Amino acid sequence: MIQLEKISKWYNTNGARNFVLKDIHLDIEEGAFLSIMGPSGSGKSTLLNIIGMLDTSDEGNYRFFGESVFDLKEKKRTELYKKNIGYIFQAYHLIDELTVYENIETPLLYQDVKGSERKAMVADMLDRFNMVGKKDLFPSQLSGGQQQLVGIARALIAKPKLLLADEPTGNLNSKQGEEIMELFKKINTEDKITIIQVTHSEKNAAYGDRIIDLLDGRIQQNIQ
Amino acid sequence: MIGNYYKTAYRNLWRNKSYALLNIAGLAIGIAASILIFIVIRFETSFDNFHDKKENIYRIASYSLNNGNGKEFYSGGVAFPVGPALQSGFPQVKKVARILQREGEPVAINISGVERKKFITSIFYVEPDFFSLFNFKWLSGNAQSVLTAPNSAALSKSTAEKYFGNWQNALGKTIIHRNSQNEIYTINGIIEDVPVNTDFPLEVMASYSTLQHSDMKDNLNDWVSTWSEACTFVELDKNASVSAFNKELIALAKKHKPAEYAKDAYMAQPLSAIHYDERFGNYRHHTFSKGLITALELIGIFLLLMACVNFINLATAQAVHRSKEVGVRKVLGSNRWQLAIQFLSETALLTAFSLIAAIGISYLALPFLNTLLETSMQLNILSANFLIFLLLVFISVTFLSGIYPAIILSGFNPIVALKTKITSKMIGGISLRRALVVLQFSISHILVIGMLIVVSQMNYFKNASLGFDKEAIINLPIPDDSASHAKIEFVKQKLLQHKGIKHVSASFASPSSSGNWSSDFKFDHSDKPTIFSANLKWADADYFKTYDLRLIAGRLFHPSDTVREFVVNETTAKLLGYSNPVAILGKEVNLWDGVIKAPIVGVVKDFNSNSLRSPIGSVIIAPQKNYYGVFGVKINAAEEKNVLAFTEKLWNEHFPDHVYAFSFLDQKIAAFYKQEEQLSQLYKIFAAIGIFISCLGLYGLVSFMAAQRTREVGIRKVLGAMPRHIVYLLSKEFSLLIIIAFLVAAPIAYYAMHQWLQNYSYRTPLSFWIFFIAIAGSMVIAWCTVGYRAIKAALANPVKNLRNE
Repeated sequence: MIQLEKISKWYNTNGARNFVLKDIHLDIEEGAFLSIMGPSGSGKSTLLNIIGMLDTSDEGNYRFFGESVFDLKEKKRTELYKKNIGYIFQAYHLIDELTVYENIETPLLYQDVKGSERKAMVADMLDRFNMVGKKDLFPSQLSGGQQQLVGIARALIAKPKLLLADEPTGNLNSKQGEEIMELFKKINTEDKITIIQVTHSEKNAAYGDRIIDLLDGRIQQNIQ
Repeated sequence: MIGNYYKTAYRNLWRNKSYALLNIAGLAIGIAASILIFIVIRFETSFDNFHDKKENIYRIASYSLNNGNGKEFYSGGVAFPVGPALQSGFPQVKKVARILQREGEPVAINISGVERKKFITSIFYVEPDFFSLFNFKWLSGNAQSVLTAPNSAALSKSTAEKYFGNWQNALGKTIIHRNSQNEIYTINGIIEDVPVNTDFPLEVMASYSTLQHSDMKDNLNDWVSTWSEACTFVELDKNASVSAFNKELIALAKKHKPAEYAKDAYMAQPLSAIHYDERFGNYRHHTFSKGLITALELIGIFLLLMACVNFINLATAQAVHRSKEVGVRKVLGSNRWQLAIQFLSETALLTAFSLIAAIGISYLALPFLNTLLETSMQLNILSANFLIFLLLVFISVTFLSGIYPAIILSGFNPIVALKTKITSKMIGGISLRRALVVLQFSISHILVIGMLIVVSQMNYFKNASLGFDKEAIINLPIPDDSASHAKIEFVKQKLLQHKGIKHVSASFASPSSSGNWSSDFKFDHSDKPTIFSANLKWADADYFKTYDLRLIAGRLFHPSDTVREFVVNETTAKLLGYSNPVAILGKEVNLWDGVIKAPIVGVVKDFNSNSLRSPIGSVIIAPQKNYYGVFGVKINAAEEKNVLAFTEKLWNEHFPDHVYAFSFLDQKIAAFYKQEEQLSQLYKIFAAIGIFISCLGLYGLVSFMAAQRTREVGIRKVLGAMPRHIVYLLSKEFSLLIIIAFLVAAPIAYYAMHQWLQNYSYRTPLSFWIFFIAIAGSMVIAWCTVGYRAIKAALANPVKNLRNE
C-alpha cells in the first residue's frame, strides 16, 4: 500500500544540512497497524505528515497504492488524500464553532456527499460511537476522551483506507487512552483499516502489529 | 456547504462579539457616510432632468471679456430684446421663451373689502412658450390662455392654498402687486407644485406682457443692460450645431449693441449645465459645482476605503485565532479555494450586517442633513438606482476588505497552523498593517486639515473688517411706490426721535449687499464709457456716518433729493488713473449719456461692496431719493428690543399696505457665505467620521498587539518594567505612524486647499497653526484610544500572562 524509498528531509542551517529524516525505507501493507516511536525531535511527526501528504520530502520516492505521490498535481493529490486518509491529532483539533454533529459532517462536505446520504452516514457514526445524545454539544462541553472520540469519528466518516494518528492519547488519562487504543485495534481488525500511529508509549505501541523506532531521522529498529 | 460556512461565521462572530462590533460599527459608519453622499449627489445631479426636451433646451447667457478689472463677466440673463430677435432669422431655434424673476415683491390680497393679507414673494413673469419647453403641469387653465393677456396670473397649488385656503378658491381672485392699482393680477390658472429638484421655484407667475405696463417697460427695448434675472430659453432643433449657433449669437450681440460694447457676447448654455455653473447662476441662487461633486465623491470613497482598511487590519489580526480551524479544514480535505470562499462569505455576512446598520443610520441622519443643507432629499430604499448603489457598495466592500484576509488565511500551511505557530509576522506581517494605518491616518489628516481651513476661512469671512460698520445696524425696507417715497424724510425723523437709535440713512442698498446696480459711465467729458462698471450706491448724506465710511479726500455731498455731487471710492480713482485721490476732485461723472451729470466732490476709503469672494470694485455714491429702498438704522445694541418694537409699530403705521420685515445687516452679510457655511459644517462631520473610523481601527489594532505581546509584557514586568514603560512600549509605534501619515497628508492637503482658496479674493492664510492643530489633535485622540488598552496591558498580572503561555 505504502512504499517509501530513500526519503530524506533537511533544513539548511549555516550552509550545513540538518537532517530531520535520513534515507527512510518503509513498506506498509494494507491492513497493517504500525506504531512509530522515538524520542522528541526524532522525526516521527514529520514522517507521519509526509505519509499523510501534508508535507513533502527533499529527496526520495513515495508510492501510495502505486501512485507516485510527489509527482501528482496538487488537485490529484488532494483527491487521493480526501478519499483515502483520515487524520487524528493529540490535541483533537475539533472546530470550536461547530457542534459534534457538524464536526463529524465536515469532511463529507468537502467530498460533495449529498445531504440525505450525509445525514445517514453521520447518524451511523454517532450511533456507533454512542454519541447520539451529544450530537448538539460543542467541543468545549465535552471531556478530552469524548473529544478524541469525535475526532476519530470525524476521521472515519469518509471511510478512509488509512488512519493516521499523531499521539492520539497524549492528552488523555490512562483509562481513556486504553479505550482509544482498544478502539483502534477493533477498527484495524474489523474494518480492515490500515493504521499508523505516532506514540511515546511502549504500551500503546504494543497494540500495533509492527513498531519502528526512529532516532535522529533514521530507522533504528523495525520490529515485526 | 454554505450553511456550514455561515454557521461557523455566525458563531465565530458571536464568540468575538467585540471584534465583530468594532468591525461592523466602522464599516456601517463608513457606508452610511457614503450613502448620504450618494443621496446628496443624486439629488444635486437630478436638477431639471425631468423635462422631456432637456437635451435641446438652452439658456441664452451673457459674458464679456475684460470687464472692470480685466475679469470676465458672466450672467445667466440677457437684454430683454434678445428673445424677440431670436424669433426670426434663426431656423435652428424652434421655440423661444422669456422669463423674468423679481424677488422680494410685496403682494396683497383683499379679503371682504377691508381686511388684507400681505405676502412677500418672488414673481416670475413668463411667456406662455416657457411651458412648452419645460414640463410643469397645469391643474387648471393652460399657459396659452393664462399667460398671454397682461395682468393675468397663475399660482402654484400650495401658494394658492396659502393665499386663498384652497386652490379652487383662488381662480378668478386677484392679487395686488406693490399696492399699485395698475398692477392687479387676476388668477386664471393653477400649476402643480414644482418638484424640489428644479431651479425654477415657480410660485407666483404673471404673463410677460404685464411688464409692458410696469416700471420695466422702458427696459424691454434696451439692448445694453443685462439683467441677470431676465432669462431667455430656446429649444434648438436636435440636429442644430450649437457651436454655429454660438457664433451667430456673438454676431447678434455685435449687431445690436453700441460699438463701445463690442466685447459683450451671448452664448447658448445647455440646460444640463445650469445647476452646476456658479458663474451664470440660477433662480434658486444655489449652484453645485462639478468640483464640489468630485470632492464629495472622493470623500465618500475615502471614508469607505478607511472602513475597509479597518476591516483588513482587524481580520488579519484575528487570523491568528483562526489558524487552527484553517489547519483542521485543510486536513479534512478542504482546498485553498474553498477556504478563501469561506472567509469571503464571512466578510460578506459582516458587510451585510453593516449595510443594514448603515441604511438605518442614514435614515436617521438624513433629516439633519436636510436641515443643514436646506434641502428635502429623501431616502428611497427601493429605487433602482439606490439598490444598484448598495449592491455595488456591498460587492466592492466585501472584496476590498475580504480578499486579502481570505488569501492570507487560506494560504496557511496546515502543519504549521495546527501547531499554532502562526504569528502576526506570517500574516503578511505587521508592515502591511502599518502601511494601512498610515493610509488611514493620511486620509483623516487631509479631511481634518481641509476642514480646519474651510472653518478658518468662514471665521475670516465673519470677522474680516469690511471697511464699514455692520454691527447693530437694522435694515428696514422702503416700499417701492411714490406715496411711500414721499414719507421717507418724515419716517426718518420719527425714527431718530427714539433714544436707542443713533443714526438713520435711506439708501438704495447697504454698503455690502446682494442686490447691486452697476453701470459704466463717461468720465471727465470723455466720449467713451469706462471699461469697468461702477457699483451705484444711491444714498442720502447720512449714509457715511450711519455705516462709518471714512472720507480720505474732499468732502461729503450736501443733502439733496437728486444727484448734484458724487462721492467715489479709492478704487474708482485708481481705476481712472488717479493715484492721488485729491486729483480726481471736481471731475465730472456722466451716467447714461447725460441723464445724470455731476462732479466728484469726495473720495471715501475702500470698503467691500460685494462678498469677500471678489475684490473691491468701483463704487460711486450719490443721493437720488426715488431709488431708495432701505433704511439703515444704527442702534444702541443694548436697546435692541425696544427699538425693534418701536420700528415695527412706526413702520406699520406709515406703510400699512406693505409687509414689514427687518433684518440685521451683519446677518445679511453672513448669509452671503451660506454655501461655504454649509460646506464647512459638512466637512466637520466628515472629518469627525474619518477620525472616528481611524480610531476604531487603531483601537482594534492595539488590542491585538497587546494580546500578541502579552508574553513580552509579562517578561518585561518580571524584569522590573514599570507600567509607564509598558504604555510607552505599546504607543510609541503608533505615534510614529501618525507622524508619517501627517507627512504624507500635509502636502496633499496644502495643495488642495490652496487651490480651493483661490476662489476667494480675500482668504485666510494657510498658517502653520492649522497643520499643528491637525497633528496635535489626532495625536491626542490616538493616544486616548491606545492608552486604555496599553494601560490595561501594563497593569495585568505578569504571572498569569506567563502561565498561559
